[in-house]
Amino acid sequence: MVKPATHKNIVFYADDDTDDLELVQEAFGRYTNNVEVVTARDGVQALSYLQSMDEYASVPCLIILDINMPLLNGKDVLRKIKDIPPLASVPVVLFTTSSSSLDKEFAKKYNAGFITKPLDVSQMQIITELFIDHCSDEVKNKIIKRFK
Amino acid sequence: MRMSDFEDLPLEKQLAVLYQQAIYVGKCKKGGLTLLLFQLEYFYIEITYTSYRSSIYKIHYTESTSILEPYLEQIQVEYLVT
Repeated sequence: MVKPATHKNIVFYADDDTDDLELVQEAFGRYTNNVEVVTARDGVQALSYLQSMDEYASVPCLIILDINMPLLNGKDVLRKIKDIPPLASVPVVLFTTSSSSLDKEFAKKYNAGFITKPLDVSQMQIITELFIDHCSDEVKNKIIKRFK
Repeated sequence: MRMSDFEDLPLEKQLAVLYQQAIYVGKCKKGGLTLLLFQLEYFYIEITYTSYRSSIYKIHYTESTSILEPYLEQIQVEYLVT
């Protein structure tokens, strides 16, 4: 797991697919001045990191979860983090290759976003903007303003 | 949608149908290429990338379940039984 080294806005992303981890990290590359992507390779590692955070000190501005991960899937991680007080209000997006309506319903039930992984990397910039759009207005303005 | 109808679509529309309707089956790597397999109704669509999610080398369609074999080999059974 890659831990944050700075006090930038933290985007936490859990996915067992190294290609997708790289894809998302590259997509956030243009925001590196104010966004740091912290990654985990499975659901247990993700939950362990999220549970170990200092109260509010390093709470991510956004949590992105793949659904199909070993040990603990993204839906189980989402259920659990909604019970962790500092994290309950952090926006979460399920980022998955699935386009299943059941998965979409699940995301809706837990007030999470749902984005299907692109088949073409050219869509990644739009998807990154959709990710940022899930952040709070304060964070969103900070990221966009500083980027401009 | 029938497989023949899918085959007749231009690449851009095939990708749109896959993105919106297909069920993801799995991913595997063969000789530097990355392959993603999807199911759409009763047939399978395999996308081969020379560069992951970036450069499509070919799209293969089949109704044969034998295409599943390399993907099934990658399923880690211990995660299914625990």
